Amino acid sequence: MLEDPAYEQIVRWGDAGDSFVVLENEKFTKSILPKHFKHSNFASFVRQLNKYDFHKVRHNNEENGASPYGPGAWEFKHPEFQINNKDSLDNIRRKAPASRKPAAHPVSEEPVQIHQMDLVNVQLVATQQQLQQLQERYNELSNHNALMLQELINVQKTVANHESIMHQVMAFLNNIDTQIRDQRRNSRANGLPMFDQSHSHDASAAGISPQHFSPSDDRQASPLQHAQKLLEESYAAEEHIEQMNELYRQINNAVSTPPSDHGARNGVVPLSSQGGQPRSTAMNNSVIYPRMNADYQDNVYPAGQTNGIDPTTYAEHYSNISYPTPATGELETADSRRQYAADGRKKSIAIDPGWIRAPQILLVEDDPTCRRIGGKFLYSFKCAIDTAFDGLEAVEKISNGSKYDLILMDIIMPNLDGVSACRTIRNYDSAPIIAMTSNIRNDDIDMYFTSGMIIRPEWIPTSRENLLLTKSQGMNDVLPKPFTKEGLLNLLEKHLSHLKEKPPAQTKSSPAGSWHSPNQLAGVSPTGTSIADESYANTVRGHQSRGMDGYPHRRTVSEMSGPDEVVNDTNKRQRMFVQSYGNGVIGSMQRVPAG
Amino acid sequence: MTETTTRPIEPSEDQSEDGTPDLSEFGDSIDPLVFEQILEMDDDEEREFSRSIVKGFFDQAVATFKKMDDGLSSRDLSQLSSLGHFLKGSSATLGLTKVRDSCEKIQHYGAKKDDTGTKDEPSDEVCLNRIKETLTLVREEYEEVEKVLKRFYGFTSP
Repeated sequence: MLEDPAYEQIVRWGDAGDSFVVLENEKFTKSILPKHFKHSNFASFVRQLNKYDFHKVRHNNEENGASPYGPGAWEFKHPEFQINNKDSLDNIRRKAPASRKPAAHPVSEEPVQIHQMDLVNVQLVATQQQLQQLQERYNELSNHNALMLQELINVQKTVANHESIMHQVMAFLNNIDTQIRDQRRNSRANGLPMFDQSHSHDASAAGISPQHFSPSDDRQASPLQHAQKLLEESYAAEEHIEQMNELYRQINNAVSTPPSDHGARNGVVPLSSQGGQPRSTAMNNSVIYPRMNADYQDNVYPAGQTNGIDPTTYAEHYSNISYPTPATGELETADSRRQYAADGRKKSIAIDPGWIRAPQILLVEDDPTCRRIGGKFLYSFKCAIDTAFDGLEAVEKISNGSKYDLILMDIIMPNLDGVSACRTIRNYDSAPIIAMTSNIRNDDIDMYFTSGMIIRPEWIPTSRENLLLTKSQGMNDVLPKPFTKEGLLNLLEKHLSHLKEKPPAQTKSSPAGSWHSPNQLAGVSPTGTSIADESYANTVRGHQSRGMDGYPHRRTVSEMSGPDEVVNDTNKRQRMFVQSYGNGVIGSMQRVPAG
Repeated sequence: MTETTTRPIEPSEDQSEDGTPDLSEFGDSIDPLVFEQILEMDDDEEREFSRSIVKGFFDQAVATFKKMDDGLSSRDLSQLSSLGHFLKGSSATLGLTKVRDSCEKIQHYGAKKDDTGTKDEPSDEVCLNRIKETLTLVREEYEEVEKVLKRFYGFTSP
């Protein structure tokens, strides 16, 4: 191009052949630049030249500062740019990256920013995902934790069952103990040298080391019987493993040298055994009242005053059995008794079904009257209550993650009826749902079932019962309105049996009760957790036994337990008899049955 | 706490069979067994809990009767039926048997059934008339139990 003569007037090699000269700036820009570049801007061309390390040749040091090629000429020079030397053109390159970068950067600035934004966005998304994963992991762990808790409760139940087996073993051993004791007594009375043998046998059978046995036969029996006694007491009330430990502590108190096994158990959880004590006492109280009332209200008081039997009024009540209310201080006694009665009433309504933990009940009911009364009933059964005004609220609560052990559901409610609510809840939760309704009509039944609600067949017209049972496949419950306390309690116990301390204890306590003398009721009293209580209990029993049969107070310790009592009394009488009258009568006494 | 506290009945609701004098005067409009359950829930001599329940029921009943009037004038049978059901629930919970039975009838009539809820009654007119009659009746029944309960709790008349 520089050699093209057509452009000689515009651009040509410099005179020395080591530079080129733009003579006509304006013409160069207009006619030549567009042919080789995308622009027609001389300044840009100069900038490009600079980038390729061409430099404008200045002539400041020459005369007048004028260029030899004319005033408007631009001469550019590059070390490698020489006439007739095309090979060296390869050496003409853009400047090194270090110097090029500042120039390049402004051009690509915008794309880079966008790119960075993208990058940040991606990172943000990634972080969010991570967060979500963490959240999921957390939820998973929470679930696992809940499962673990459930498992723990199961384990506790298992342990409780084991304890109940222990209890049975104790009862069995006690029987053996009694039998052997009788045998021994008889043989001793006969003067036979069987004593030591049977003694050691006795001891090993009872699992207690021989040195516990005190000289007196009756007192020998008492530690074991006492222990069993305490065991049974608490079985009525037991709620937790802690109480089990408490029991063992009691046993250990009763039996002077604890068997190593029990000792070890205590050693494991000494703190919890402390904590269990008050509760067990409280539980005892609440359990006892109904029984006491049942036994005593007919013969102790005229109707209307018996409900308040209270631990603190025990002595008073018993003294009232023997004597009518004293004339002196009558007003005061009446007052205080009324107060007790009120207290007793308060406590007697607080039926404690003996939950492992307070069952979480959701009461869904639009009618404020029913809701309040239902809630109050549930409260009296030691349940934790949540209420919902209608099906919609119930569904919201459950879909928000609230967990309930049982849901009591009204059927006809505004916004969302019970059947629809039940159907929806089944998507989240499988807790038993009990329909509370006053009218069960045939067409309702199908609805309940399809919605997964539980119906109790007793409340269904008989004609539908077969169909129902087939459909229900074992699920069924309805709480008819107006619900009764008993109905509600039965229902809770049925569906929440897994939260009960242990059903076997209940069934077991009844045979126990049956072979206990009436005196035992006093024994089931709030005593039995500490030595101090014990002495109080003895006092009470003293009253009682005096009232019952006039036996001296001292006896009561050995009278405390069960069927042996009759035997003991007989034996005691027998032995005294023997001691008084000598061998002469022994033959006949021997035949007194052991029980 | 003194013995002079006005206690309408002895704290002996547990022995429902004995039938305390005050409860027996409720007559057949109140089921004593059901009502005693509520009384058993009282923690204090003032019967605060059952008192508030009963008071709440009074308000509820009066409001519901009013709504039933509205339902009658707007011939809204389904509304009348659900109002009947609503009041039936709370009256049943309190053992107010007569009110409960009448409310149930209103519920059935509103659902275009006969008084037992077994047979369909196609005529709106018949149903509305029956509801009208029953509403008059249930108001009387309600006033009766209201009187008894107010005496029981020593409410002053409004």
